[in-house]
Formats: sequence, C-alpha cells, structure tokens
Amino acid sequence: MSHSTGTRTDALLAVPPRPVGDDARARVRDRLVDGVAGAVAGLPPGGLVEVALPSLRRARSRPESVGLAEPDFAWKPVFARRSLGLAAVRACVEGRFGGPAAAVGPLADRAVDEWRRSGWRTFHWEPWFDGLGAGGRAAVLAEATTWATPLWAAFDWAEFGPGVVLGGADDQWTCPGPRAVRLKGRCEVRVTIDPPGGPADTTGTAVGASALVSVSGGSPGGDWPEELSYLALVAGLRSTDRPVPARVLGLWPEAGAHRMVEVDGGLLGAAADRVVTTVALTAVARSNAPDVGGTVSTASEEGFGVEDGAAVEPALV
Amino acid sequence: MTPAVHTGPMITTGAPRGEQQGRGRGSRGSDDTARAVSVSAGWQPLAGAALLDRLRHTGRARPTADPALAADLRSFVAAGFDDTPAGAVASGLVVTKDRLTRALACPSHRVADGSPARPFTVPLACGALVDVLFRQLVTVGTVGDAMVDALDGLALDEHQAPLVAWIGQLAHAERSELRAEVERQSDGLRRRWPALDPSWLPRTRETLRASLAGGRVELVARVDLALGRPAEDEATVAIVEVTSGSRRPGHRDDLHVDALVGALRSSAPPFVVATYYVRTGELDVDPVTPDLLVSAARRCRAGIDAMVSADAGTRPAAFDHPYCAGCAELPLRADRPDRSAPSATVSSVSDPRTAVTEVVLFPQERAA
Repeated sequence: MSHSTGTRTDALLAVPPRPVGDDARARVRDRLVDGVAGAVAGLPPGGLVEVALPSLRRARSRPESVGLAEPDFAWKPVFARRSLGLAAVRACVEGRFGGPAAAVGPLADRAVDEWRRSGWRTFHWEPWFDGLGAGGRAAVLAEATTWATPLWAAFDWAEFGPGVVLGGADDQWTCPGPRAVRLKGRCEVRVTIDPPGGPADTTGTAVGASALVSVSGGSPGGDWPEELSYLALVAGLRSTDRPVPARVLGLWPEAGAHRMVEVDGGLLGAAADRVVTTVALTAVARSNAPDVGGTVSTASEEGFGVEDGAAVEPALV
Repeated sequence: MTPAVHTGPMITTGAPRGEQQGRGRGSRGSDDTARAVSVSAGWQPLAGAALLDRLRHTGRARPTADPALAADLRSFVAAGFDDTPAGAVASGLVVTKDRLTRALACPSHRVADGSPARPFTVPLACGALVDVLFRQLVTVGTVGDAMVDALDGLALDEHQAPLVAWIGQLAHAERSELRAEVERQSDGLRRRWPALDPSWLPRTRETLRASLAGGRVELVARVDLALGRPAEDEATVAIVEVTSGSRRPGHRDDLHVDALVGALRSSAPPFVVATYYVRTGELDVDPVTPDLLVSAARRCRAGIDAMVSADAGTRPAAFDHPYCAGCAELPLRADRPDRSAPSATVSSVSDPRTAVTEVVLFPQERAA
C-alpha cells in the first residue's frame, strides 16, 4: 500500500462502492442483538457493559485483562493529547497555523483563558492544565504535538473540502435487552466522500457516503479489517437514516502504517461477532469477580469514558 | 536552497538561542569537578543555524525509497521466524535498544531481563531531567527555572515516579550538585539549540515500530526528536537523540537501530541520525546509508538470536561477543575499530566541526 499522502487521500475520497443496504444492516443488527443477549444471559440485571475499539483489541490480545477493575482516573498528558491534537490539526486545516507544533500552545492558552472567564471547558482538562507548572504544561503540549503531527502529515487536507470533521462526539448505540450493552465508536476524522450532486449521484451507488479515519497506537494486528469495520458498525447502528460509512482508514503512526477497508455486510457481521465475543468475555469476568459490580467498561486504560477520550497506546516496552 | 525534506522555508534563529556572552571556548561553567580530558584548539560547539546546517547537510545524497533493500533487511533481521501471521493471542518478541544491548552483552557485562533496575544516581537523574528540558525547549522555546521545570515535567510521567521520589530525598549536597549540572546543561541548550520551524514537523519522543515476520518480531525505538514529513520517495526525516552524559560507543549503536527501525517502517529511511551531547554541545552525525542499515541489521539479528537462544536455554558456552557495549566502553580512540559503522560514516567523525575534541566528564564519570 502506497505511503504517499496524495495517494492515501485519493483512496479515501474515491467514489465508494455499492453501500451496505438497509436489509444487510438490519441483519447485522439482529445478529448482534441475539449474540449479545446470549453472551450476557448469565449476568444479573443492571449494570452496564461498554464496548469500544480498544476493548475489542484487548479481548483478542489480552483476554485475561478484560473486566479488571479500572484504576482511579487522573489526568495525564496522554489523556489530553487527542483532544488538543485534534484541535491543532483542525486549526492547521483552517490555515491558522503552519503545523501542530505552532498550534498547541495558543490553543491550550485560549481554552484556559476561556475557562477562567466563563467556566466553559472546551476540553475538560483546562483546570488540570492550568494547575501545572511550566514544565508540566510543556510536557502536555509536547505529547499533543507528537500525537497530532502524523495525522496532520497523513493527508492533503485541502482535498477534503468543507465536508471534513475532526473529532466530534463518539458514535454510540445501546443494544436492547435486559442488560444494557453500549457500543462506542470513536474516530478521529469523518469525511463526506460523495455529497449530493457528486459523481455517485449519477450512478445511484452511494449518495451521502462517508469515510472514517481512526488513529491507533502500536502496529496493525491481523484482525484490522474487523476492527476498522467496528467503527462503521457503530456508526451505522447509531443512525439508520444515514448510510453506513463506506470505508474506514486506520492510521498506525508508530508503525508508519495505514490500512483501509471497504465496508460490506460480511465485514460488519465479523465486527458484530467480535463484539459478541468481547461482551461474553466481559460477562465471564464479571461473573468471576462479583465485587467489580456497577458499570464495567471494557475500554479500560484506553481512555474511553474520559471526556477527552484519549486513546492511550500500550506502554512502550 | 531549502531541501525537499522540509515542508516550508527554513526559518531559524540566526544565532544561538539566548545569550552568547560569557561562554567562550573552553569555559565549562562553575563545576569544579568537571575536567577536560582533551582539548583541541579551534573547536567550539555548533549552535543555532550552524547546528541545523550540520544536521541537514550530511554531504551525501539522501537515500531514496528502496523496497528491495527494505525487504532484504526485514527478512534478514527476522530470519528463522515463521512468516505466517502470528495468532492474535501470541505475543511477539519485542526488541528495543536496551534489550538488544543487554542481549549482546558478554557474561561479564550481562544484566538479565527482569533484573532490578540499575540504581539511581545523580548522573542518571540529570539525564532524565535534561531530556524533559530538551523536550520543553523544542516545544515551547523557553525554560524558566530549569530544575523546577524539569521536575514538573518528569512528575507527569508515572513511570518516573520512583526517580522523582529519589530526587526528592537527596541530601542537600547531592541535590545541589544535581541542580548545578541541570542548570548548566539547560543553559547550554538555551544558548545553542536552534528554534525549529513548525513546518519542519518537529515531534519529541516519537515511537517507531517495525513489525516483522507477521508480528512475531517487533522492533521498537523511541527517539528524542524527529524532524521532517514522513518519507515518501526520498528520505525526509532526521532523528536526533539527546544525551546529558559523555560519549559512549553504544550511542552510535542505538542511533543505528533508530535508522534501521525507521527504514523498516517507512518507504525510505531517515536521511540522518545524530546524537546531541548537551553537556559539551557535540553533535555526532551519521548519514544513513545502505551500509549503515546492513550493519545495524546484523547487530539486530545477532541480538535477536541471543534473546531467542537465552530464552530457550541454548546459548552456546563459547558465544562470541563482538557487540558487547560494556567491552567497547573505552575512551574513544582513533585505533579502536568501529564495529558498527562502515567506512562510509567515518566522515562524521573526521569532520572538524564534530570531531571529538573535548570530553568533559560528568561527576562519577558515567554517562547518564
């Protein structure tokens, strides 16, 4: 797969193939609902099981860690880097800065000023950041810069036009049933690849289609197609009046790698199966550790549940 | 002319950051314990734009993407490992610079994986603090009270909590010694290290990974500073490691691992890897060449073989140790063979601007 920025951008924006139809979407939904219901059948009512992309990965790579109690949350640079990094890339896309290194400082200062003035927290970490000394603040800014720079360098952003969204709210979908299971999907970039009036309008293939971009730590594992498709699955379940995202591109900056899937019914089904497996592992862990109780997030240290939602890479060995 | 590596015009300070007065050649601050081992007339540390130029202009053509070489290197490094994708649950062999060095050590210098961490020392603490200050200077361009800023930054790294606690309980004399050295090195950084244009895409503590043999082997390197847009057809990235201690042969070995991992994860390798010695202002520059990459791959392969055989309990009794960093830890001499560098990189040593002309030993004579 080419490492060219232009090639990568073009591939993301290419006219999408035939979209996942409503029937296929419904079938996957039913498969997921049935599977999850079976997986959590042994759990007592109440409580919430949350699933996110990092937990899917963890369930496959370190199943013994699923369902372990979460450490108490405390802000640290890796929790703040995603939100600040995305803001920096957004500001660069808008032409306000020449690169993330120039953007992070002013953006953080502005957010803290705004919080002091109005109490409004753009990023949620403003009070923590404001309480740090100069060295601590610099460490946060450095972390955000290093996170944001590969994303900034990955695409020809001008090619995306106005239909690009950086960050934004997570996609969420709650699986119906007596025990709540919530799926959360977080991507870094959403791109409209075929607006009404675009090329596909004339062929009727995928008007309004979108693509997602996900940034991860580490290296792509062998199951990356299912994992990337999970993000399309949650987006497609969340909003049935919009097409299922046509493709998902994953960036693994540490590995200098990117992978892309063209989403179809088969991949959505495989992603749904991964969800069921993850929920089942979580249910077993909860059954074996009754003290955990309450909400069990399978997202763990990857930062889901945190307002900022930073995706924390595994510690460097 | 700005080389293609940079994504915008090069805008740098025309002079070293901060003041220049009071730091004439040969001045080594107020540390009475520091002593010059050798002094060569006419040499002074590079600073500002000159330092950047030394980094940018290696005197060699920048490597271009060479998929065949990359494939050869990958298969050589991971030879013996099944190339089919590893099972998702299977954990691969993670190879870092430290693990390589340990694996390649002779029995006299060997420290097994899982051994207690080496004890904290003032030089080691100084190294950690200076790393933080370097990152701060690159990111925000200023350093206030060096010791305070460095401890602020270090305290945010949970992995450094034991070191922070150790520093906190230092006796007054040791803490003063540490503070003096941190301030001296911070001052050197401020005066010499150039401002980096944001369009160069500077990023600090960047992690590089190269997954080999279907994930069964993963080479991992964290670099102190990377510059330049990710490579496409031509090498565009420069890597700089920063150290507060004095020169050691192992530093070049580490640099070459950085180059190798960079070459295996991108379409083109970095065009240069360099070590910046904060205490003296020396900059050791290695242009990345195929020879350098092959040499690094050989060492890496030897280290992987040693790890695998140690894990399996099959390490031969007569194991040869040509790569032992401890054995190589002698003062750099002209007659000491450089195992890791092919002749192509000798220019970096013979360049009068970067030649080893003065080595100021840190107290206790150990690099951090």
